[in-house]
Amino acid sequence: MNALAPNPRPDIPAPVGLLAELTHRCPLRCPYCSNPLELDRRSRELDTGTWQRVLTEAAGLGILHVHLSGGEPTARDDIVDITATCARLGLYSNLITSGVGKAIDKLQALYDAGLDHVQLSVQGVDAQNAEKIGGLRNAQPQKLAFAEKVTGLGLPLTLNSVIHRGNIHEVEGFIDLAVKLGAKRLEVAHTQYYGWAYVNRAALMPNKADVDASIRIVEAARERLKGQLVIDLVVPDYYAKYPKACAGGWGRKLMNVTPGGKVLPCHAAETIPGLEFWYVTEHSLGDIWANAPAFTAYRGTDWMKEPCRSCDRREKDWGGCRCQALALAGDAAATDPACSLSPLHAKVRALATEEAAETPPDYTYRTIGANIRTPVKEDAPL
Amino acid sequence: MTAIFPPPSSAAAERLLSPEELEAALREIGAKRYHNLHPFHRLLHDGKLSKDQVRAWALNRYYYQAMIPVKDAALLARLPEASLRRVWRQRIVDHDGDHEGDGGIERWLKLAEGVGFERDYVLSTKGILSATRFSVDAYVHFVSERSLLEAIASSLTEMFSPTIISERVAGMLKNYDFITKETLAYFDKRLTQAPRDADFALDYVKRHAVTPEQQRAAMDALTFKCNVLWTQLDALYFAYVAPGMVPPDAWQPGEGLVPEKAVAPAAGAAGTGGIGAGDVPRLPRGVRMRFDEVRKKHVLLAPERTFDLDDNAVAVLTLVDGQRSVADIAARLAETYNADRAVIEADILVMLNDLATKRVLER
Repeated sequence: MNALAPNPRPDIPAPVGLLAELTHRCPLRCPYCSNPLELDRRSRELDTGTWQRVLTEAAGLGILHVHLSGGEPTARDDIVDITATCARLGLYSNLITSGVGKAIDKLQALYDAGLDHVQLSVQGVDAQNAEKIGGLRNAQPQKLAFAEKVTGLGLPLTLNSVIHRGNIHEVEGFIDLAVKLGAKRLEVAHTQYYGWAYVNRAALMPNKADVDASIRIVEAARERLKGQLVIDLVVPDYYAKYPKACAGGWGRKLMNVTPGGKVLPCHAAETIPGLEFWYVTEHSLGDIWANAPAFTAYRGTDWMKEPCRSCDRREKDWGGCRCQALALAGDAAATDPACSLSPLHAKVRALATEEAAETPPDYTYRTIGANIRTPVKEDAPL
Repeated sequence: MTAIFPPPSSAAAERLLSPEELEAALREIGAKRYHNLHPFHRLLHDGKLSKDQVRAWALNRYYYQAMIPVKDAALLARLPEASLRRVWRQRIVDHDGDHEGDGGIERWLKLAEGVGFERDYVLSTKGILSATRFSVDAYVHFVSERSLLEAIASSLTEMFSPTIISERVAGMLKNYDFITKETLAYFDKRLTQAPRDADFALDYVKRHAVTPEQQRAAMDALTFKCNVLWTQLDALYFAYVAPGMVPPDAWQPGEGLVPEKAVAPAAGAAGTGGIGAGDVPRLPRGVRMRFDEVRKKHVLLAPERTFDLDDNAVAVLTLVDGQRSVADIAARLAETYNADRAVIEADILVMLNDLATKRVLER
């Protein structure tokens, strides 16, 4: 255990998960990427030693799961060393990967280093469609070969499919693919509209009927494949009745470290102006968890306004997503408009319905160094 | 209250019993009056009840489960010392849970849902028998109004409950094809909780009943509680077994149920499916148990999720090594905990199959 007090505020429950965004480099260019619009360049990435120190602090603080993510985490030369550090510290390592590029070549070494689990993204079932969405030719065969190697080694595999207008007709296909590849879990995650997905919302938003159909397909498959495949379903916010507890509640479960070492309560938190983020290069993880202004800003319920403040769901969904509240309501402390109790909910749903009915515009693909700002539309703020 | 049931002899009732004699007298009350002896319970255990009779039992008993924390909160409010309250409050946590979806009441709801009820119908308690309501309410009043000693003594039926719960799990698993293992998840926890609760209460009664009158009051309190349980089964028997007189407002078969839908049986997948006593369970790569130093508890780490483990689960999973069969594990636990092997085996099969369904355990 390190010399610093691991958690200077024992009254605040310790975090359970660390999303380690090792790099923003990625061969794919998915238009719904959760990374920020302004991506970190390689020259700003933390070095191996710093990541290893961060992981040591994480273990001391009470973190159990580490999600090695990015960008594409296998683009880092030291991914095997970082995985080995997790294993040595007893941290559960989860590789969140695109499965393309160098991923397959490093898999055996990652296995030997003690990797616990692989989450592989699949953009579509039909190769042509999948490669259009991911913005990379010849990606699909690489992914399938990667998946086979994962299960061949005996590593547990989860497929992650982000669902939107361009692939919502393939939900049944994703389920079949997961079974065929020997995955134990499948995430059918409807797009959450932050970051790049917010920019591309009009191109991605499905209509309500298709969303409902996708939910029915998942429910039937869960019953049919019970004991064989676990299917996690994330329903799209805009059509939901209540918002989701973003990241399990602000500053309650998760810490997110960016490639450059900035520590966020959730991956989109940087979109909220005025929040002060601390860096792992300047503070210990425990200090950041307890004291960083970005973490204390919306932790608990004291910051809430009505209707959240007196709502009996306030400790269930913690007011929903702060970033979405900002994007849609213009106020990060407002009730997430995805909530049916928000005065803006009807407008949000109407907006989704309207966008889903129009001809989809082309994707704005994720690119490092792109000069894109969140578009100021007539709906922002509503 | 006059003594309904004099302990060993009326002469004994006149003199001060040693703590050991008092315990023996209390156990004697259970041996004669605990509701495992009731004809309705015998039918339940032996698999002789119809699905609707089991439903009536689950529905009515929910009210008892739901009021237990109310009773314990009333008792807690009267405990004069923090050390006592710390122990007693655990009962409320056990029943209410620490969060949504947790706790004994929730698990009983799962049982009720498992036999086909709409959750909201069960929660409304509108279909329960008046006799259920009267007996349970009488219990809550008793605990609120009688002396602290009597209130605590009335909880001592828990001394007798571990056996009956085990019988229930094993008996029902064996005999009712409409009861699934998941439905019986409630019982996993009670097996360790009940003895722990009873140990404390028994010790308290033995230390605080120090006059013949107090000892007598403690025995009467326990007798009263046995009657609370017995009366509920009398009413169930009368309404739903023989002569079958269901009061006008009480639940009638068919009411409050989720419409049945045709569900295809789950296909047995390679490596999982039903785990039986002869199978050798193992945790696959990517699933491991570790002690969480920060939170001081064992957890099972698995893809994208963490399971909090109770003492039972830790005891079982420690023995899951890819070598021992379920039967071996049950035998080992039966020896360690001096319990019935068949009962333990039935219980751990519930747990292991649940984990297998979640894809974190294989055979």
